[in-house]
Amino acid sequence: MPTDALLVEPDWLLGGYKAPPGVYDELRAPEGGIRPQWDLFREAFRHLSADEFQRRTKLAEEQLQENGVTFNAFGEEGESQRPWRLDLLPVVLPPSEWNEVARALDQRARLLNAIIDDLYGEQTILATTKLPPSLLYGHPFYQRSFHGLPIGKGRSLCFYAAELARSPNGQWWVMADRTEAPAGAGFALENRIVSARLMPQVMHKVGVERLAPFFLRLQDSLRRQSPNAVSSPRVVLLSMGPRNNLYFEDVYLARYLGYTLVEGNDLAVRDDQVFLKTLSGLVPVDVIFSRGFESGLDPLELGGGAPQGVSGVLQAIRAGNVAVSNRPGCGLLEAPAFMAYLPGLCRELLGDELITPSIATWWCGDPQALDYAFGRFEDLVIKPALQASGGTEVLPGEMTAVQQAELKAQILSRPHAYVAQETVARSASPVWTGQSTGVGHLAFRCFLTGDDDGYSLMPGGLIRVAPTTAPMQLSISAGAGSKDLWICADRPVEPVSLLSPEKEPVKLRRSGALFPSRVADDLYWLGNALDRAEFLTRLLRAVVERLASESDTAYPELPQLLHAMADQGQIEASFAVEDFAKVLPRLEENLLTSLFDDGESRGLARSIAEMQRLARRTRDWLSADTWQTFNHSATRFKEAGETSKADLGDLLEALAELRVNLASTVGLLADGMIHGPAWRFLEMGRRIERGRNIARLLKSTLLTRQPADKHTLRAVLEVLDCRMTYRSRYLDNLQPNGVLDLAITDETNPNSIGFQLAALSEHVDTLPEIAGTPLRSEEKRLVMAAVHQVRMLTPDELVQPISPELRSSVDKVEQLLKQLSDVLNRHYLVHASSPRQILPENQ
Amino acid sequence: MRYRITHITRYTSGDPVSVGQNQAWLRPRVCDHQQVLRYRLKIDPPPSVQTERNDAFGNPLASFAFNEGYRQLTVTARGTVEVLPRPEIDPERTMDWETQAGFVAWPATADDREALQFRFESPRIPLSPALREFAEPSFPAGRPVLAGALDLTARIYKEFEYKPQSTTVNTAVSDVLKQRKGVCQDFAHLQIAALRSIGLAARYVSGYLRTTPPPGKPRLVGADATHAWLAVYCGPAGWVDLDPTNNVIPGTDHITLAWGRDYSDVPPLKGVFIGGGEMRLEVSVDVEPLEDAETGV
Repeated sequence: MPTDALLVEPDWLLGGYKAPPGVYDELRAPEGGIRPQWDLFREAFRHLSADEFQRRTKLAEEQLQENGVTFNAFGEEGESQRPWRLDLLPVVLPPSEWNEVARALDQRARLLNAIIDDLYGEQTILATTKLPPSLLYGHPFYQRSFHGLPIGKGRSLCFYAAELARSPNGQWWVMADRTEAPAGAGFALENRIVSARLMPQVMHKVGVERLAPFFLRLQDSLRRQSPNAVSSPRVVLLSMGPRNNLYFEDVYLARYLGYTLVEGNDLAVRDDQVFLKTLSGLVPVDVIFSRGFESGLDPLELGGGAPQGVSGVLQAIRAGNVAVSNRPGCGLLEAPAFMAYLPGLCRELLGDELITPSIATWWCGDPQALDYAFGRFEDLVIKPALQASGGTEVLPGEMTAVQQAELKAQILSRPHAYVAQETVARSASPVWTGQSTGVGHLAFRCFLTGDDDGYSLMPGGLIRVAPTTAPMQLSISAGAGSKDLWICADRPVEPVSLLSPEKEPVKLRRSGALFPSRVADDLYWLGNALDRAEFLTRLLRAVVERLASESDTAYPELPQLLHAMADQGQIEASFAVEDFAKVLPRLEENLLTSLFDDGESRGLARSIAEMQRLARRTRDWLSADTWQTFNHSATRFKEAGETSKADLGDLLEALAELRVNLASTVGLLADGMIHGPAWRFLEMGRRIERGRNIARLLKSTLLTRQPADKHTLRAVLEVLDCRMTYRSRYLDNLQPNGVLDLAITDETNPNSIGFQLAALSEHVDTLPEIAGTPLRSEEKRLVMAAVHQVRMLTPDELVQPISPELRSSVDKVEQLLKQLSDVLNRHYLVHASSPRQILPENQ
Repeated sequence: MRYRITHITRYTSGDPVSVGQNQAWLRPRVCDHQQVLRYRLKIDPPPSVQTERNDAFGNPLASFAFNEGYRQLTVTARGTVEVLPRPEIDPERTMDWETQAGFVAWPATADDREALQFRFESPRIPLSPALREFAEPSFPAGRPVLAGALDLTARIYKEFEYKPQSTTVNTAVSDVLKQRKGVCQDFAHLQIAALRSIGLAARYVSGYLRTTPPPGKPRLVGADATHAWLAVYCGPAGWVDLDPTNNVIPGTDHITLAWGRDYSDVPPLKGVFIGGGEMRLEVSVDVEPLEDAETGV
């Protein structure tokens, strides 16, 4: 290795950097020369100018932005999005140093794993008082439900992160343990991918260890957790969902590792087995790589309704049918209080001395430790003992005497809830400031994965940078920026990558990734809301047009139309029963205000809001254009509501525009969407809703005791959008049987009940079979019964006076459609409502 | 004393429940003073899967789940239980409460360590200075632990009004302390909270109470209810049950189902379901004392 200190180093690169006194300098040795591991790095930079480096820094920023590397990147509208920041200047470490870290962290991971297995099992370390029992029993996250869960194959602590800092003499200290669902590995990977793209030669020259082998090892460790003897176990990545600020990383890791990304609602427990709800039915899951809080894992046993919760999953673990990794319970060890006892526990459980110390910690629940901590109060940091340490630490040294006394009183009232810790002045390394280099202080997050053979350390990691040596928050989003960590290889680096090579042709397939039924659920209700909005628009337009008419013509059909609106829930029922002349003025008033009010649960505005919400949730499954028209319809309608409440004319205009916008959405859906399961569920939602709407419309207008007049017949044709068709068949001869045939039995009319049923019949036939019955499924039987009702109608039954049989048939069809919706929901779309706790009995 | 117990819980829902999972702490626990002669858990409709195990506190716990929809769920627990008299303990001869608290805090024996589980805050029982102030009059310096605990039981009985429907299952201990009324669950939680706030170990006991009909009246079948009380840890004297609702040390009238840190550890029935619409709950409990010769159905 060339160690020629006389190499001319580019001034711009390291010239401006000078480590402050009293901290470890990652770049320069105490005698002043550059540490040897940086030589190759510096040499690789000789031909790079500061401007060029800055240009690449900008490119890196752009690339991160394009890849959507942010916190809350997938959040709901209006939430802040913070971009991820990467300093392209890495930190370089030699293999000799890194191997020491690997050895120390392997030991620590084995120790933590042994502690977890003991605490949730025999609890021998409580009996031998190597750990004060009150530390466990007073721990708010010690879940009794996790006690005695079988220790499966592989390690309980399968994926672990340690937060390290370096003190002035170069000694490594563990500042925190991340054992629940460590964050940051995805960000480390993204940092590496971006660095490698922008500095390929530099990286090649230095000979940096690749990260991919670590992720292969992680895949392997997770695979080995499977309790089921299957050749390729199905692993899913369980996320806390789009509202969680680390969702980006979940999506990123799932894609990189090749796992299906799921939320709690995507999984179901049946007969103590965990299944992924897909449209091709329930697919068994062998391993759950959990990325959320374990305290929300099982709403049945732990309460709550966290998005990653899967009711019954703990019982499935007990039954030996699934593994959750990390094993529920591992999160306990994130509490800093444990650090005070690790040396003793290491001797007890591993028979070894702890290699790398934790930051010196005193648990105030121990009276002696408390005395000691109070004795050195001003030198220490005070923080919660039992929570994963975050930003809540305080520095007595910066407090007034009064504040100190208050803090002491607070500690004395609940001593077991606090720890005192020493601080470390973190090591320094150059950071890029845009033109030259300045000083940053480093927090190293290191990742390990393990199985029975021990733990492997990721050769690299996530480095967070702070401008000062003050204690640093542990959230991976804290700090001024991040860096890549380069470990120099001591042998040639072999190319390994999990990303498929871009130049090979793809393997042809007709279906995409597993189609989670959560998406089917959303699409079903999206279709439902879309059709409802469309139908109400037409109905409202028919009414408002008549009300707004300048002429004095009476509209004898208005009461029937109002009846239909009331039956749809768009207006109050009183408008339909009272004397029409009396309600008219009040009705106009009411329409002007209620039309845009999305508080009315079955009204138009609510259907549109619902449509927009669901379209947002299913954005990945819709074409960009389709999504935009959904959004556009809703946004325009909202705007119309805000700007024009003046008169019926404005209303009419808004409805006309909405009608056109919705029609273009429908057109794009019909023409642009692959006719796969996603489309079918959207269609079923539409067809069921439309069938029911037509049935309800007919019941409140034509199928009444009094024979319908011509005006009403015309209005029904108008709402059903069939006036042209009718005229082409019968000219102006308006007769109930002609209208009813068109609205009910004519299967060539897209606005007839028969058409909806025929379409549903086809969709239902393609539904995946539910195993267990040789007979027809409930869905098929319901559709057949409905089709039968309609097809068995005779021409006589459509003739005036309207027969009770016809009314009862239409009634029956509407009920069957309602049942079909319920059954579809029960069998395929159980997400429609979230799990609830049963009423408890007061004792 | 021998009892035949019938505990029927019925959930009726407006819409079909699509999927449901449940846990039941309904099998009476076997302990020093209690034998379970027969027990049967009948679930209607029959669940698709059902298992029984002991929970982390050693209580028998049944888990069951449904894959098919139902509108009504009826869980019937029938058992015949023999409750034996417990040894009498002289409250004045128990350890002074400060020493007892110290033994619990730094346990040297397995029993003390077990007791330590029950001295911290738990999901339904947060601790507060107000609770400590409430406990203190009963615990002057040096008072034997059980004497103090009994005094506290008597104070709750006297100072608080037993009033059905005055609280819900979710009422906080701090509210009970303020409003001075509640039901047995509230009084049990309150006394546990007060005892823990001065460093003692106390646990929640779920069970049944034999009710005696008014003189001359027949016993009403199914009119009983589940009951709740507590136990305080008295070191060498073991755990002693206390019933603040009735101001007694439970004897052969109290049938024990299960114990835990508070109600949330051992509700008779809990569960999660999807669908169902509006849900109605009906509970009927019958505690029938048996003649010595009878063994029950």
